[in-house]
Amino acid sequence: MFYRENGQFKTSYKADQQVFAIPQDRWAIVALVVFAFVGVPMLVDEYLFRAILVPFLILSLAALGVNILVGYCGQITLGAGASMAVGAYAAYNFMIRIDGMPSLAAILLGGLMAAAVGIVFGVPSLRVRGLYLAVATLAAQFFCDWAFLRIKWFTNDSSSGSVSVPDISLFGWTINSPTDKYLFCLGILVVFSLMAKNLVRGNMGRQWMAIRDMDVAATVIGIRPMYAKLTAFAVSSFYLGVAGALWGFVNLGSWEPAAFSIDRSLQLLFMVIIGGMGAISGSFFGAAFIVILPIFLNQMLPLVGSLFGLEVSIALVSHVEFIIFGSLIVFFLIVEPHGIARLWATGREKLRLWPFPH
Amino acid sequence: MTDRTHSERITFHDAIETMEVDFSRMTFADSAQVDAIYDEVERQLTATGKRWFFLVIYTDCTIAPEAWDRFAERGKSANINHGRGSVRVDAKEQTREAIRESAGKESFRSNIYDTRDQALLALGEMRKRQRDMAKASEEVFLRAENVSLRFGGVKAITDISFEIKRGEISAIIGPNGAGKSSMLNVINGVYHPQEGTITFLGKVRQQMRPHEAATQGIARTFQNIALFKGMSVLDNIMTGRNLKMKANMLQQAIWFGPAMREELEHRAKVEEIIDFLEIQHIRKTPVGRLPYGLQKRVDLARALAMEPELLLLDEPMAGMNVEEKQDMCRFILDLNDQFGTTVLLIEHDMGVVMDLSNFVVVLDYGKKIAEGTPDEVRADPNVISAYLGASH
Amino acid sequence: MAFFLETLLGGLMSGMLYSLVALGFVLIFKASGVFNFAQGAMVLFAALAMARFSEWIPGWLGMENLFVANLLAFAVAVVIMFVVAWLIERLALRYLVNQDGATLLMATLGIAYVLDGIGQTIFGSDIYKIDVGMPKEPVMMLESVFEGGILINKEDFIAALIAALLVISLSIFFQKTATGRALRAVADDHQAAQSIGIPLDRIWVIVWCVAGITALVAGIIWGSKLGVQFSLSTIALRALPVVILGGLTSVPGAIIGGLIIGVGEKLSEVFLGPYVGGGIEIWFAYMLALVFLLFRPQGLFGEKIIDRV
Repeated sequence: MFYRENGQFKTSYKADQQVFAIPQDRWAIVALVVFAFVGVPMLVDEYLFRAILVPFLILSLAALGVNILVGYCGQITLGAGASMAVGAYAAYNFMIRIDGMPSLAAILLGGLMAAAVGIVFGVPSLRVRGLYLAVATLAAQFFCDWAFLRIKWFTNDSSSGSVSVPDISLFGWTINSPTDKYLFCLGILVVFSLMAKNLVRGNMGRQWMAIRDMDVAATVIGIRPMYAKLTAFAVSSFYLGVAGALWGFVNLGSWEPAAFSIDRSLQLLFMVIIGGMGAISGSFFGAAFIVILPIFLNQMLPLVGSLFGLEVSIALVSHVEFIIFGSLIVFFLIVEPHGIARLWATGREKLRLWPFPH
Repeated sequence: MTDRTHSERITFHDAIETMEVDFSRMTFADSAQVDAIYDEVERQLTATGKRWFFLVIYTDCTIAPEAWDRFAERGKSANINHGRGSVRVDAKEQTREAIRESAGKESFRSNIYDTRDQALLALGEMRKRQRDMAKASEEVFLRAENVSLRFGGVKAITDISFEIKRGEISAIIGPNGAGKSSMLNVINGVYHPQEGTITFLGKVRQQMRPHEAATQGIARTFQNIALFKGMSVLDNIMTGRNLKMKANMLQQAIWFGPAMREELEHRAKVEEIIDFLEIQHIRKTPVGRLPYGLQKRVDLARALAMEPELLLLDEPMAGMNVEEKQDMCRFILDLNDQFGTTVLLIEHDMGVVMDLSNFVVVLDYGKKIAEGTPDEVRADPNVISAYLGASH
Repeated sequence: MAFFLETLLGGLMSGMLYSLVALGFVLIFKASGVFNFAQGAMVLFAALAMARFSEWIPGWLGMENLFVANLLAFAVAVVIMFVVAWLIERLALRYLVNQDGATLLMATLGIAYVLDGIGQTIFGSDIYKIDVGMPKEPVMMLESVFEGGILINKEDFIAALIAALLVISLSIFFQKTATGRALRAVADDHQAAQSIGIPLDRIWVIVWCVAGITALVAGIIWGSKLGVQFSLSTIALRALPVVILGGLTSVPGAIIGGLIIGVGEKLSEVFLGPYVGGGIEIWFAYMLALVFLLFRPQGLFGEKIIDRV
């Protein structure tokens, strides 16, 4: 009842098209963001930051990128990991080869590099779609895997392909404690999410969705498929590139090509499927789910096992993870193709009516 | 009981070639009162010796039932003898009825506006259209010449030529498989003919892509409703404004500033179309959830959002019941009347075709077998034998 | 020259192995229009079943005869694959009738994960042996023509033979039998096939069964060569370019595609690799597939993909 919008009439188009149209929503989001910036650092310990929150933030950013391409523009990709790799290695090279390059600039430039490469790998989407496009993106993924392992220039002649970076800093603020990393990533995520939301509700988003839903009709209206598809690849790769740079710089500190392998691509795809394709919030839901589930299982399964007197090994936990992920993918695709985001939206609709049935 | 004399109620605005007649707060109890003012109107009009646009104010004007017929009659004759087009302001429901009757068409939209300013705006658009039409009447609007289209061994269209005039409603009819949709697809650039040319707005071309057709001002609807199922009605129609949106990606990402302004401006335009097609109540509904008839209306709205010169309608009445067909007819007539859009439609329902169109082209087995006004075509023996079979 | 021939032959052999896996892809796609990303997982699952049962059965039944044990294990594995096929149809495919290709693809990805997880939970995640009596020693051939002769792997040779046999029988099955026709109808349009009375669910179980048996054969051969371990499921990824080249709907295409990829990989690695740092096997096949995708997406023998407006 308290969530009802009764009496809230929009008197201008401007009011109507706000992102959070209901005041309750607006307050909730503001409260959430304030809590995230101020409250969480006070309440949470280091382990949580390192293990859950920072990965969650960075993977959300990556999932946003994948969602833009797969969920909004309908182009399937199995090469998201490669975009992250390009972003990470490009940022690394900018950092160490140019003296005095500020870290944030290096990260953003890494993203731009990833966007450029993303456009190139998006060219097949102009010819093929569906499974065939997936194969084309796989080609990109494997090529990048090899390139960062074997081409010495990228890794500054490291023999194993692994690189490490010093602590990053932003205008004199050295980011090395978990709290610092958390706040840095949170800030970037908030800004990027807003930009994504704006893109998606404006003309660009409509072009993408038109191509996704029916590209023949879209051309008849005057939407150019090449422009729409390649910009989707570009924007998506930019987000993935920045996320990749953050993953390497902030989360890991040092990394090797395997961090961005096809497993990563699949993980991101799963996030988007489970979280909700075509919904910004879906990226967050999916990332949260994928980050928390293994940790949850790690704690829960041994407990459950001990109830039955069974010894639960680490290997078993990871197998169960596989089973649960796989089943959930199939489950969501059958039951709710729009993922947790749709379930959440339906829940809110019901909340609007509560306690009335309809 | 008039507070002003009749001639005080009549004003001529030379700059905009308009005569303004202020019926406000008048009551017409009988035919004599109607005649009184209309005689004065006629007298002044004849004195000028020119044709004028009419701006008529109906605020608080009451017309008694006995006076209606006379009112309608006088208004009609004034329009025919001296008029170039009229806009009306603030008329009550009964008056609107009377005006519709006077036009003689069920589906006539009488250009009635709520305020004088809106009426003047519409008047301005009407005047501009007429000027453009006069200028453009030498230029070929749409001409197909010797168009032939084959799919492998199947000849879809053979050597078809016809011409459509700007501002008219034209129809292509013919039995199933005659090549009507293919012809539309050729005009639109979806299919590329092996022979022949299409001339649009004076430009001759043999082939173009659908995207280019859109930029030149051709819009179309589809037989199977190609709407974007994942978006709401409002978003679907907004995609039609895509060609007119100029903000680049960075501006859109920031939102505040040029992108938002542009978005709101186009939203206002789209809302006009939504009002016009009476789909306000479903604007936020995802199109996948709408019944077929409403989906077709949204399809039409999206095509209109492009503000096209030429509108291609592929079986707009397919699958509709009688009421829905009447609504659709009304919309098509209105959009031709109000927006000046040239319409080329494919339709099977003969009644609709005869009522709506100025010009008809008949196809059979990919060839043109007749063309002309609806009456001419209806009487043509070739057409009759094509539809009914040749054995009689 | 001898070295070149050796590499070539080696490539042909490994190409045949890829084809075995690719066959599974083609079968399922040909018959249900679904691209089965879980094929690799099925190969692993089948191989695990075979490996473990061939270990357990002698223990349970107390027998010494390796040949009989293998035979029994094979039979059990076939039954298991049948159950897997039935379960997949029942729990997943049935509900995804007529969804678009991307959705089905992602669903099979999910199924792959489930199979991987269940397989390793039931059968364990160590490296296991499959010993079906495949000859391990290489043999020297054509010693008279070339000095030292050419090294040929007997195991690969036999695998190639088996693959060829499989292909021939499957081709005949699809072209000549009524079931084959029904399968082709289903691949074309699920709903249309249903509406003329083809029992979709039964057809799908049949198809996934046949694919499962193909996966079993592939699993046995690869497992016997490499040992049964988790990386077997990534074989599927190596076989993807094969079906792109050969055409997703062509059984002979799977063979030809496999041969081309196999030879291409080996030759490029040996002759091109040293110039670019080595290890290009990973992406060579995919680049080849990419080229095909851009210019001839239906592959060498596949049906042209028609997009209806």
